[in-house]
Amino acid sequence: MKKINKFTFQKKYLTKILVFIGILIFASCDFEFELPEEGSVEDLTPPSAAFEFNQSAENFKLYNFANLSTSATNFSWNFGDGNTSTDKDGVNEYPGEGSYTVTLTVSDALGVESTISKTIEVIEPEEPDVPDPVLVNADFTKLPKSSGSDCTCSAWINKDLGDQGESSSGNGGSDNVLKFDNNEPDHIYQEFEVTPNADYTIEVVASFKDLTGGSFPSMLEVRALAGSGYVSGYTPMYFTETTAFPQENWGYTSISQVEDVANNLLAETITNPSDDSYITYTYTFNSGANNSVALFIRGIGGPATGGGGGDFGYNSGDEEIRVDSITIRAINL
Amino acid sequence: MKQIKNIYAILIIIFISYSCSDNFLEPAPIGTPNGETFYSNDDELELGVINMYDGIQGINSTSSNDNHGIQVEFYVTEMRSDNTQTKSSEGEAAQFENYTIEANNGIVADYYRSFYNVIFRANIVLENLNNATAVNRSRFEGEAKFVRAYAYFNLVRLFGDIPLIDRVIAPADKEIQFTRKSKDEVYTLIESDLNRAIETLTNGSKNRASRAAAQTLLAKVYMTTENKRYLEAQQLCESVMSSGFSLETNFKDIFFNEGNNEVIFSIGYLGDDAQNSQNFSAEWLNAVGRTSGVNYVTPDAKDALDNFGGDRTQFSYRVDQAQPTRFQVVKYIPDGDATLGIDPTSSNPTQAGNDWIVLRYADVLLLHVEAIMGTSNETSVPAALASFQAIRDRAGLPTTVTNITKDDLLLERRVELAFENHRLFDLLRFNKAQETLATFSTNIGASFSATDLLLPIPQREVNLGGGILEQNPGY
Repeated sequence: MKKINKFTFQKKYLTKILVFIGILIFASCDFEFELPEEGSVEDLTPPSAAFEFNQSAENFKLYNFANLSTSATNFSWNFGDGNTSTDKDGVNEYPGEGSYTVTLTVSDALGVESTISKTIEVIEPEEPDVPDPVLVNADFTKLPKSSGSDCTCSAWINKDLGDQGESSSGNGGSDNVLKFDNNEPDHIYQEFEVTPNADYTIEVVASFKDLTGGSFPSMLEVRALAGSGYVSGYTPMYFTETTAFPQENWGYTSISQVEDVANNLLAETITNPSDDSYITYTYTFNSGANNSVALFIRGIGGPATGGGGGDFGYNSGDEEIRVDSITIRAINL
Repeated sequence: MKQIKNIYAILIIIFISYSCSDNFLEPAPIGTPNGETFYSNDDELELGVINMYDGIQGINSTSSNDNHGIQVEFYVTEMRSDNTQTKSSEGEAAQFENYTIEANNGIVADYYRSFYNVIFRANIVLENLNNATAVNRSRFEGEAKFVRAYAYFNLVRLFGDIPLIDRVIAPADKEIQFTRKSKDEVYTLIESDLNRAIETLTNGSKNRASRAAAQTLLAKVYMTTENKRYLEAQQLCESVMSSGFSLETNFKDIFFNEGNNEVIFSIGYLGDDAQNSQNFSAEWLNAVGRTSGVNYVTPDAKDALDNFGGDRTQFSYRVDQAQPTRFQVVKYIPDGDATLGIDPTSSNPTQAGNDWIVLRYADVLLLHVEAIMGTSNETSVPAALASFQAIRDRAGLPTTVTNITKDDLLLERRVELAFENHRLFDLLRFNKAQETLATFSTNIGASFSATDLLLPIPQREVNLGGGILEQNPGY
């Protein structure tokens, strides 16, 4: 009986306690604010700020900003120079060169914000001068080659196009000029880097031996050959040391390539001036649609075959010709 | 007895299973061609190649469910520039000039699905190349790759990052169908396709791909991509310039003497031929086509032509006789113009025969100038002056030009190539689109913003993509 009473007692209180706890739980809920409004949904598309910019071609200080933000309705630009805007796309003219941080803050109708900043460097674009091309051993000093004995012709050999020139002395020095021997297919060849569509002058300092009166007067042929005419798949390498230069398999690998009119940016022939002193011959050429050009000079005037060297279909004539130096310069207005 | 029964059962099962062969349907139907077995020889592949051009040509119909191909290109290019507008500013066509294009615009969807369909047709040819004989294989490949590159070049410039489909895909290939690839990746495919086309094609054809067409397109690609390759572009232009093309003496003849020597690549149409005619020419007239008149000349373009067009002006726009305050495009008139000495190209103007010129020599000469100018703002290089002067001389403007600025060049392109769907792409390539169109839009009271420089991905595609395909900003 005591047990039963105990149970009754417990049951009586249990109900009260449960009701109390229930009220407590109830009261702890804040229904007024937590019940979702009818039809409301979560903001699944918060705004995301994004933009790109580009510099005007005519006015380097003027920038156009393209607003590529998504899910945004309000825009606020800070261009970093004190100027601001609330237009969708931005346009700003900067006071001058400098580094500016552009900030775009966007928000949607719920007031959710997104911000992006980018730094722009306002720099006046320069039209750089066209640099002078670099020729190696342009004054024909006797230097080591990749193979064979030292020669003033180092860096100037292309055995697919002719025989190498010979070391010689002249114009007040020794082993300082290159000789195109008589009745031989001697040549020089070197590739150099150029700026496309630029004008260049080329100066050749050369001396012809006095005419012998024979039927084959020597002439010197000067050609600037377009890099676009290089053998297919060839990429020019610009060496600095004479020992690094190849002696064959350069960009031009045959005389027919050399003689193709379409490949010649310049083709000049110097005849014997009947004056054996060193004379400067000057020509100009335009590099056209090329970033590489090859200079090719050879002695001609002799019979096509039967000369004193290899068989390339040409030979120099009766007189020796010497070249002391070659200079190529860019013409900048 | 029971064992014998079992043996019979086993024998029957074996017999049945042997009667099945690999293919469910055998023999294959021979009376009708089917996709599995077609494109098995040169003749069938040749049809596949022609099928690609047929896709670009589009269907001449007024049904908005058909693929109209290049016939609706003017809506998404020229009418989004400062060159043209609708006559009455009505309907979804007016969204273009107002810069209020909606993602569900039917014309945008038409162009998008048309050119992906062209890509599909090109991919079919490429997929079956092994069935071609060695003699024709490389030509088929070159043509298919040219067409694919051409379609992607249009799409990437209009839509930005786009799905890149480089093979025949099945409906289950959702990933490749709806994943947008970066412009760089798209341009990588375009460049490799065009280089292959240059290697494999020859010149001679105008209504089909040629080496010169691929070279011209690649030159344009090189000057459009982020990393500009002006030297290569110049070399490509010079190669085309030594391929025997020339400027027509009379500007009118470019458009009304079809197959002339100035045309490098055009889409062929035949007048009064329901299958092979076009209706865009009629749409540009006053209520002759389905619309009351679209691609009408803006006052802005009229001004440019009046002041800088020379002899080109009269063959570029004319007064609309029915509504004399408005101006129509003369290039591509279907029903003739006696005053201008232009004959009709068909008896029914909605089945017009005017070819659509995609690439012509004047474009190449001006691209040549652009390539030489490169990153500079002007040029006086003789080769550039010569190309520019040739265009000016033909237009009856023989004053010697000694210097060309970027703005001069852009203007010259505008008046030379007006209404040939170049203007928008030129503005984009010259980095002038936002500046020019914002001013133009303000002047005409339209609502341009920078996000209008890309079209919306058609909403239908976004929906089909089931969340994979993302929309362009601003839509």
